[in-house]
Amino acid sequence: MKTPRLPFRSNRTERPRQTVPDVHRGIVGALDWRFRRVRWTVRAIHAFTLAFLLVAGLGPLLWLAKSAITPTQDTLRMPLALWPHGFDLNYLTQAWSQTHIDRYFMNTVYMAIGSWATQLIVATTAGYALSILKPPGTRILTALVLATLFVPSIVLLVPLYLSIVDVPFLHIKLINTFWAVWLPYGASAFNVLLVKRFFDNLPSEVFEAARVDGAGPFRLFWSICLPMSRPILGVVSVFAVVASWKDFLWPLLVLPNPAVQPLSVRLPTLQPTTELNIFLAALAISTLIPIVIFLIFQRMFLSGGDVTGSVKG
Amino acid sequence: MTFKPVRKVGTLLMAGLAVVIVAGCGSTAATPSAAGSTGPAASNGTTNKPVTITVGVLRPGASQDAADALNLQIDQFQAKYPWITVESQEYNWTAPTFTAALAAGTLPDVYTIPFTDGKGLIQQHQIVNIDARVRALPYVANFNKTVLANGQDADGKIYAVPTQAYGMSLTYNRTLFTQAGLDPNSPPATWADVEADAKIIAAKDHVAGFAQMATQNCGGWQLTTLTYALGGRMEAVDATGKVTATVNNAATKAALKMLQTYRWTDNAMGSTFDYNWGSINQAFSSGQIGMFVGGSDLYTTMVQNNNINPADYGITVIPLASDPNAGVLGGGTLAVVNVNTTEGQRDAAVDWMDFYYMNKLTTEAGALADAQALISNKQPVGVPALPVFDKATFDQSQVWIKSLINVPDAQMSYFKTKIFDQPLVNEPSIDTQTLYADLDPVVQAVLTDQNANIDQLLNDANTQIQKAIDAPAS
Amino acid sequence: MDSPARLAVAPSGTRKRRGPLGWVSRDGLSSLLFLLPMLVIFGFFAWFPIVRDVVMSFQRTNLVDTPKFVGLDNFAAVLNDPLFGKSIGNTIYFSVLALVFGYPLPLILAVVISEARRFKGVLSALAYVPVVIPPVVSVLLWTVFYNASPTGLFNTVLSWVGIGAQPWLQNKDTVMPSIVIESTWANAGATMIIYIAALLSVPRELYDAASVDGASILQKIWHVTLPQLRGILLITMILQLIATAQVFTEPYLFTGGGPANSTMTVLFLIYHYAFQNSLGGDYGMAAALSIMLALFLAAFTAIYMWLTRSWSTNS
Repeated sequence: MKTPRLPFRSNRTERPRQTVPDVHRGIVGALDWRFRRVRWTVRAIHAFTLAFLLVAGLGPLLWLAKSAITPTQDTLRMPLALWPHGFDLNYLTQAWSQTHIDRYFMNTVYMAIGSWATQLIVATTAGYALSILKPPGTRILTALVLATLFVPSIVLLVPLYLSIVDVPFLHIKLINTFWAVWLPYGASAFNVLLVKRFFDNLPSEVFEAARVDGAGPFRLFWSICLPMSRPILGVVSVFAVVASWKDFLWPLLVLPNPAVQPLSVRLPTLQPTTELNIFLAALAISTLIPIVIFLIFQRMFLSGGDVTGSVKG
Repeated sequence: MTFKPVRKVGTLLMAGLAVVIVAGCGSTAATPSAAGSTGPAASNGTTNKPVTITVGVLRPGASQDAADALNLQIDQFQAKYPWITVESQEYNWTAPTFTAALAAGTLPDVYTIPFTDGKGLIQQHQIVNIDARVRALPYVANFNKTVLANGQDADGKIYAVPTQAYGMSLTYNRTLFTQAGLDPNSPPATWADVEADAKIIAAKDHVAGFAQMATQNCGGWQLTTLTYALGGRMEAVDATGKVTATVNNAATKAALKMLQTYRWTDNAMGSTFDYNWGSINQAFSSGQIGMFVGGSDLYTTMVQNNNINPADYGITVIPLASDPNAGVLGGGTLAVVNVNTTEGQRDAAVDWMDFYYMNKLTTEAGALADAQALISNKQPVGVPALPVFDKATFDQSQVWIKSLINVPDAQMSYFKTKIFDQPLVNEPSIDTQTLYADLDPVVQAVLTDQNANIDQLLNDANTQIQKAIDAPAS
Repeated sequence: MDSPARLAVAPSGTRKRRGPLGWVSRDGLSSLLFLLPMLVIFGFFAWFPIVRDVVMSFQRTNLVDTPKFVGLDNFAAVLNDPLFGKSIGNTIYFSVLALVFGYPLPLILAVVISEARRFKGVLSALAYVPVVIPPVVSVLLWTVFYNASPTGLFNTVLSWVGIGAQPWLQNKDTVMPSIVIESTWANAGATMIIYIAALLSVPRELYDAASVDGASILQKIWHVTLPQLRGILLITMILQLIATAQVFTEPYLFTGGGPANSTMTVLFLIYHYAFQNSLGGDYGMAAALSIMLALFLAAFTAIYMWLTRSWSTNS
């Protein structure tokens, strides 16, 4: 029996490596598999699921790819026909130049990178301070951070917007700058608590040893804590990038200048003033990059859940 | 998202128009009409401190041609007014983004708004009183009084300069007409004709015979147009200045009943009922709509953004009922000065408005240069427009560009010849956008719910709108 | 429980003295430095806005003049707004539909996929693809799918099986289910991944024991799998409920709140109050409504946690 690879690889040691699950030891056990009825039902279900997921998961994307090079009238009148009047690859180049997708895509990337960096910095430094250094007031601070977790983000929408327009005490305008998106993202209690929890579970012997060797808090952070935290940093990073990529309402509000808008804000604005074929081509191009990234980093995406579960435990 | 067609087309017109005066600038200075444009400059006194102003002309996504043309014009302007530096800033008026920009203070020094927002912004002290400066312009007496009123406060002080006006029209697809066996050269002249033609088109061409917008405040806007055409009014202002919402008047009810009939009895309105200004243009240009009530200036955007086949475009006046109050809704664009400016910037701003927006309407050289710029940027010249000044000035400007018109003029003649016989009615003046917004759901309900209770919907909307009108300002 | 790491800070075991004097030592300063990013970011962009929201809900402000206190007027105005009741109804409708239709699907898929001998990776990836597509792109794409004319994409497919053209987004009865379908498609994959991981942690011995006791597959799922997953299931349920209570992007992009306000959700209403008036928003009303929603969600979560406290521990 070929051994499937584990979904997640880490250097954590608190969990025994799982024995490889195979069909004879799962819900459908060895005793069940002996019956032909069971075998064929299970196979049928899996075949159906495969077909269903192919249609549901890939279908829309394939259609988008096809329609991106189909003339508008064909898409409107015969959406499922395969190029009854031919196709035109020019639509893709037209979409690229007319709608300046590259600019908006780069904006999306800048937004994601900045948000990721802010979140990582805030979460790691705060987690380290609250977990390892534990200055007086740690409990209060942790409670305050936890409190924001229970406050839904809608509460922040309007006053945060006003703060961006005119930062209190400093009286600077952050609107139309990427800082307006990066900085609020940093205030993620979820990340801080996630990292703090992780640091809590780190073995203390390493820290003690380093302390004895004379390492100060910064050294401890940089050379001991961070390298050991790769898994949780990976999780935080994936969450951060995905959240930033998906965000719509907030960039819509604070980035009224089209030059700095990400794709998610720009595309709806383009819809009414762009012909359908060009617009679909633009959509197709916009999906290309996330798909490619997903295919490359599949492992990390598909295992995100596992780490969350384990950190919970 | 576009909100008022005028806004979008107005600014698009500006962008595309890109009035570029190359040689004309020199000769313009010599002609008497150009004396006006040097007037405000002279009023600045001999000591002109350098100022910089930002102008919001180009909409996002404007072509490089349009940008070049604008830069050329800016150079012209700066040559004429050496102490003024003009910076161009991308700008587009849409209801939601305008508020954000206003709050954030990111609006340019000179920008444009629809007629409907003029009085509101004046009340909120968001735009500058430029009365003295504008009155120094030589053509100020020629402004159409109704049009100018949109930019004036209660005492008649001018806060905004009207740059462009449109009237509502009945836009129809000539090709669909032909395919359905109707004659595109005799477009419907009464509402009964409209209904009959819509039924035929829906049956023969399998598209929407008549379409109606219903979202982003355009539903209320179009409903107001229909109301005016049937003789009703949406707001009443009495002698004391008290404003009463009257959206539940008989004409509006008749208009909604009309839509109900088209939709449910005749089944002539197709299957999409959430059109906004942009998407209805798109649907029309791709041959999915037989007729709809739209602005007179839509041809430009349909050519630029929606790739319309020019032979498809037909336009005629909107049928008016025989009621003495029946009229055509008219709107337009105002140029305003941001309140966050210095006195020097305000002088410069009015100079810019005069140069960029008014020159082509008041001087032959300006008109010719503007038309040539349009042609060279592949933009339409001769799109129907309504006068901002008196009819004489308007006719004169049309004569100037007659030889350069590149739109299918014959197809547009139905509108151009008859519009001046129709009384023009301004949009409701108080809380206009709120009124439109509150009427959107009414239109949507009528079009999507066969059992919609028109009376109740209108009464509820009226209460809502009255509340908004009565609410203390800020 | 004391974290062992704490020893690294105070090896002598004595508590640090509170107060400013305690901070003067090197450790105190570096603690402050490490806390600084969090304090600054949270201070400006979390704690202060929360306080400000509460204050604003009692004020009338238009960003130009100074705000003035109006007591409970904003709350009263919100409660009296007919759109308020409508938005609550719509949000509840959306949440219920999402719970009934969208909540079980990832679980079912996860169970099926975790039992697959081959293609597990392919199946997971296929289900996850819709998740990586930016939500805005998904919604815009599905708007094209939902074209209500007989030649619209979904209507064409329906015509193959003899069902008539549906109005999809054009009719208040079909619009919310349409939105929920797209929302499920776009999000099921993410929850499914979590479930698949959780399913891996169910001890195999339990299944073996159940098999020996004569349990069928369905019985095993009901009596072993689901109880084992109880904790994660309850968490994803409350997370989903909280998320659907704040849905905005889909209604905004699909229908702009229509037809006739039938997709106007609470968050959309907040946005509407604050940002959809071209002459300036009513930030006080928006703040008041946000506070009300926040209080409701907090109470709801508290009740939920209390009700399920005995169920969430794995036995």
